[in-house]
Amino acid sequence: MIWKRYIPIAIVGFFGSLTLFGWFIESEGIKAFIDDDATQWYDIIASFAIFLGALNLLKLQFLKVLKQQSGWQYSVVAIVSFFAVFVIGFFMRGAFVVDIPNADVQSTYFTQGAAEEAVNQLKDSGVTASITPAQWGAHIQTEGGLFKWMFDNIFTPLSATMFALLAFYVASASYRAFRARNFEATLLLLAGIIIMIGRVPLGSLIPSWIIMYLLVLVLGIVVNTYFKSRELVFIVVALGLLGVTALFLYLDSTTVVDIFNAFITGGVISGFEVLGSWFTGWPINQPSIFYLPALQEWIYTVPNLAGARAIMIGIGLGIIVTSLRYIFGLEKSYIGDQ
Amino acid sequence: MRFLENIIVKFGSVDRRVIFVLIGLAVLVPLLSPVDLAIRPTPSSQKVYDAVDSIPDNSNVLISFDYGPSTRPEIHPMTLGIMRHILSQDRGHKIYITCLWPDGLYMAKDALKTINEEYDLVEHEDYVLLGFRPGNEAIVKGLASDLRKVFTVDAAQNPISEIPMMEGINNLNDFQFMFTGSAGYPGTFEWVQYGADPTGVPLSSGTTSIQVNEVMPYVQSGQLKGILAGMPGAAEYEKLIETPGIAIQGMAAQSYGHLVIVLFIILGNLAYFITERRERKY
Amino acid sequence: MGNQRGIKYGIGILVIIVFTYVLSNYHVALNFILRRWDITVESIFNSDRAFLFIVLLTVIMVLLNEIRNARKDSDSIFLRTIPGLKAVEEAVGRSTEMGRPILYVPGIMDMNEVETVAGVIILGHVAQMTAQYETGLDVPVARSIVMQAARESCKEAYLSQGRPEMFNEDMVHYITDDQFAYAAGVNGIMQRDKPAACMYMGKFYAESLLFAETGNGIGAIQIAGTASQAQIPFFVTACDYTLMGEEYFAASAYLSRKPELIGGVTTQDTVKLMLIGLIIVGLVMRALFDLDIVSFNLLDIIG
Repeated sequence: MIWKRYIPIAIVGFFGSLTLFGWFIESEGIKAFIDDDATQWYDIIASFAIFLGALNLLKLQFLKVLKQQSGWQYSVVAIVSFFAVFVIGFFMRGAFVVDIPNADVQSTYFTQGAAEEAVNQLKDSGVTASITPAQWGAHIQTEGGLFKWMFDNIFTPLSATMFALLAFYVASASYRAFRARNFEATLLLLAGIIIMIGRVPLGSLIPSWIIMYLLVLVLGIVVNTYFKSRELVFIVVALGLLGVTALFLYLDSTTVVDIFNAFITGGVISGFEVLGSWFTGWPINQPSIFYLPALQEWIYTVPNLAGARAIMIGIGLGIIVTSLRYIFGLEKSYIGDQ
Repeated sequence: MRFLENIIVKFGSVDRRVIFVLIGLAVLVPLLSPVDLAIRPTPSSQKVYDAVDSIPDNSNVLISFDYGPSTRPEIHPMTLGIMRHILSQDRGHKIYITCLWPDGLYMAKDALKTINEEYDLVEHEDYVLLGFRPGNEAIVKGLASDLRKVFTVDAAQNPISEIPMMEGINNLNDFQFMFTGSAGYPGTFEWVQYGADPTGVPLSSGTTSIQVNEVMPYVQSGQLKGILAGMPGAAEYEKLIETPGIAIQGMAAQSYGHLVIVLFIILGNLAYFITERRERKY
Repeated sequence: MGNQRGIKYGIGILVIIVFTYVLSNYHVALNFILRRWDITVESIFNSDRAFLFIVLLTVIMVLLNEIRNARKDSDSIFLRTIPGLKAVEEAVGRSTEMGRPILYVPGIMDMNEVETVAGVIILGHVAQMTAQYETGLDVPVARSIVMQAARESCKEAYLSQGRPEMFNEDMVHYITDDQFAYAAGVNGIMQRDKPAACMYMGKFYAESLLFAETGNGIGAIQIAGTASQAQIPFFVTACDYTLMGEEYFAASAYLSRKPELIGGVTTQDTVKLMLIGLIIVGLVMRALFDLDIVSFNLLDIIG
């Protein structure tokens, strides 16, 4: 009972208090313990604990193969891979560098035999070469070596593939979950769309006047939903569209008179050219509140950050209080004491 | 109208594999057939650029590769961009490379291989690859107090004492700028808390897009000199240094991917509204 | 009672401030006494961190007091309903009816993370339920030390329910340390074993959405809890219930109703109120300082 219960609690309490209050004490020894030793002790324990995990993994995979349970073939792959990498990393260098000094050329071979064969071939051609095995430790990252080959051709593609799955899963999760069921969900949906489009170069191509026209149409939908009056909707939408157009008339240097004159003096084609350039000459990023990249930046740095800070404070408090419970022995479930 | 509504309602319950295929195509096609899109640097990327620009001549710069192959597409262009920026200035800067992740060592080797093709660097004169050490934040703390206790040899097992450019380098205070390409733990937070804050050495960071939220308070408080946020941040930095790379190439793919997601969200919501209205009607 | 408590805490904070002051300056008095023998002592207290020391002692004071109050009368303390935690028992019941196991993922980090420890604690409660309902439990882990701790937690849970024969060490098993290899392993377990309920309680990174979407694909009920801020949106989007931030740390209090743990939850709320007060005071003081109405800057003291 003492070994199982009180001693672990005492250890946690002592080292927890030392690490916590030691931060306020000016003592080289305590500082060295907190800054270096404590974390290194933990890493050493965790490193040795890997044996427990590895043995457990092997045991379960072997049992699966022996009992021929569903998917046992994958267990064979797991066991073979485990031992292959173990042997290659610890017992085979896998990196023998053949060096041609005069030509400043180097080639790396997986085995000593292959390297010797290459040297012999070069010798037959009258070229002197030497073999330098990679140093233990450096052999895992020697260019052209077996371990690096495995990392580049097996581990990297597998890791990248798993991470790439997120792109698909984000799409399907967003599609399924982003529904405007209520006000908060709608706000989340709109913010998500603005951030997604505003964050990429495509967003900077969308002029603010398109957003303003869209907002006018959305306002029309909202008015129709609540007031169900066609006349009111028409008035709101018409005024909105005219208002946005007037605003950009003001912002653009080309005037209606210029367009009119172009039609009168230059003919229809010239008139439409000036009309087109007037339309496309509207400033793309004014007013900035409706320009997606600027709006995205604001959402990111103001409301999003405010919410994130609040959550971080809450999480920080949770961590402090939970840690204090462990240190003072108030919480003992981690040693199985319910 | 009814016909259009029925089509939209069908979109509301499309099999997710259809979405997967369309996302795949939206990302693949621009990669195979590149499209030029205008990149606009954001203030946070500009801050990183300005921080690197303002490093004094003949400085020692520490770059930490704290990411692996899974996040390589996002962060590798950042570290390459930073290294290119530092080297293109030709102001006598020296680069010191550490890794808090074991995979980071391979990322660093690949980055050096790429940079060497452009700049013909000499190891131990222009750069030194110190390598990976296990210990997470203890390594950063160790570097802040005594680098030579943490690294006695470099990644190729050469003693630190025999490397010319390690002379006078004893801890983080001997560096004039630090950059970390970080994909999680250990990474940006550890460098800010145990590296930059205690020593006052300017630190910038590049992170995955999802981490930017958590790191932004440090940027706002000035503890981080700007941040490169995901692949858009990497593309912005490539634009600032006027050296297009894989990040700019990838932005078209990302743009179209986002567009497809947004279109599906809009269609899904339209289907939802139509279905709701029909259910209320009947 | 609220006023009484406020006054008590106010006095407590004053005492802590005085104590901290004494701690920062005790060496002055000591040197005065010892100067006759030419002895000088340096303070071992880092007075640059005095404000944080005051905050720490305040939190400890509030925690101990709230636990004392909770021990006297925990039933009167109101804990709002957290739907995710109510759903845990439903999820276990659903799994029992369907004859399928429960998958519990305690995060991908090690026991040095508070979130992981909290996840192992919640696992204990879930294991008690699975022991009671005789439902299968599968706990794949990414760290060896977590495996040991989780095993202890499950073993004790099954023992406490009088079902030691139902406990099997291999229900908690190690997969791998690598983030995405672990995600692939867990996804494979989900696809093969098709658990009826999936619970994700701990510290997660990018693999969170991989778990949640795969769980969604197999039709499992999903309950997530994490303080990893970046992953909360993914869990909220893809899971049925999500415990966000503080709710996650309050989970063990909610499930066990132990006074010590309930006291911890009320401590969080009390300290939060104090922080809000401090933020408002700081804001006002800083504004007055910037307007030259007062001459001292509160933020210089806080540091």
